[in-house]
Amino acid sequence: MIMEFLISAVGLGALYALLTLGVALMFGVLGLMNFAYGEILLAGAFAMYLFRNEPWFVGAGMALVFAVAVALLSERLAFHPLRDADPVILMIASFAVSLALQSIARMTVLPRARGIAPEPFLSRRIEVLGADVSVLDLVTVGLCGVTLVAVAWLMGRTSLGIQLRAAAEDFRMAALLGVRPNLVIPAAFVIVGVLAGIGSVVLAARQGSVSADMGLQPMLIGVVGAVLGGMSSLKGAALGGFLLGAVTALLETFLPTDLIAFRDAFLFTALIVVLVVRPQGLLSGAKVRVS
Amino acid sequence: MMLSVDDIHVHYGASVHAVQGLSLQVGEGELVSVIGQNGAGKSTVLKAVMGVVPTASGRITFDGVEVGASGFSSVKQRMSYVPESRGIFAGLTVGENLRLGAIVRKDRKLVEADIERELERFPVLRRYWDRGASLLSGGEQQQLAIARALMLRPRLLVLDEPTLGLAPIVVDLIFDVVEQLRAEGMTILLVEQNAVRALEVADRSYVVQAPGRVLGEGTATELAAQPDVVDHLGFTPEGRVQP
Repeated sequence: MIMEFLISAVGLGALYALLTLGVALMFGVLGLMNFAYGEILLAGAFAMYLFRNEPWFVGAGMALVFAVAVALLSERLAFHPLRDADPVILMIASFAVSLALQSIARMTVLPRARGIAPEPFLSRRIEVLGADVSVLDLVTVGLCGVTLVAVAWLMGRTSLGIQLRAAAEDFRMAALLGVRPNLVIPAAFVIVGVLAGIGSVVLAARQGSVSADMGLQPMLIGVVGAVLGGMSSLKGAALGGFLLGAVTALLETFLPTDLIAFRDAFLFTALIVVLVVRPQGLLSGAKVRVS
Repeated sequence: MMLSVDDIHVHYGASVHAVQGLSLQVGEGELVSVIGQNGAGKSTVLKAVMGVVPTASGRITFDGVEVGASGFSSVKQRMSYVPESRGIFAGLTVGENLRLGAIVRKDRKLVEADIERELERFPVLRRYWDRGASLLSGGEQQQLAIARALMLRPRLLVLDEPTLGLAPIVVDLIFDVVEQLRAEGMTILLVEQNAVRALEVADRSYVVQAPGRVLGEGTATELAAQPDVVDHLGFTPEGRVQP
């Protein structure tokens, strides 16, 4: 029971951390609260549906391609022309992109939810240290864990990562040192696309369907997780997302059946308490070392 | 002149006219200071020089190239800026901050040599190389900011209030470094509230009064002969001892 819960909690936490990291990276580098993040995720999930008759890894690969393509296209067509605009204008633009993509999906390929048959090997359950665990949970932990480690390596050990972190902290000062907006902004969108793509693969497998509005909840999770951890700290945002996922799993497992329907009420009450104590988020503004 | 600022006006919004027709020049190898009281517009002038704030009118040129013109890049012109806020990236380590100063350089071996040079100039940075920059004291952060600016091998170093809020011993250290850089032939534009020390180290100085106008300019000796300047400063300027 404990082992099953741990794997489930770590898996959901890692997935939420991925979602949160995408939101926080965009906010840090561009000052953009990107509400179209959910539709980048939708693009990935739609690729999983489109390639549902191909081997699973083909669909997963195409999900990354679709998500990165939509992320880059939104940058080029919508956000690039508004690069120097007020953050409120950027936010409204992201709403517009979100609604436009959602509407296009609804009018064309996704007028209703489409089922994605679960990959047989993901539906299996195996025994791990005496516990009966679903392969999907293990894959979620593995995929999200590897992605988070890769992002940590990219951000901490590469020149691009250092430039992204600097730009996320103080874009103007970074530019004065020679960090090029035309490099870091598209790079941030590519990373966000990859994170959303991997998130969409996991979400599509967990939900077993894809619909035009499926990006809304992950986007909200990303925003809430980032606020919880601290919008100005990528590490804090990932921690916030992880905690949000882990606590969600905890509530799903241990809440009495008749209270399960109120899970989000408990979750967001806890969130409000945390934010009253630390309004800047868990790690933002804290004196922590990043690397 | 390496840097020429001609009759610039800078506005913040519709109501604040922060700089009103200020001109100054900096020649190659010169250390020029800009002194004046709080709110005189000194820092705004530096921001305009670096292209951080736009000018409403007037002209700023660096080596004949207009600042803010299409294709102008302060980094490509090797202009390094240490803002009043220091601009340290708190989420990066000391080493990462320092390396960021050379991000546009391709000569990796020389970059390593320059890092070594700056660590010798500021030994405290070697000690805290792997430490998060947010953990440094104000004086240590200022040393890091100057060292990072020097990593570009700047042709013009622009320093905005480098000793603001620092302990006297650190102020001495910063001025020692400024003099050392001047002796190495670096061109420096220094904004400083500590007028006495600024006049001591500078070749020439501009005394600025609100709202962004030059009251007087020249060497310390020349400024000492200007009653308006002496009255504004509240003391008679004494420059460094010429060799």
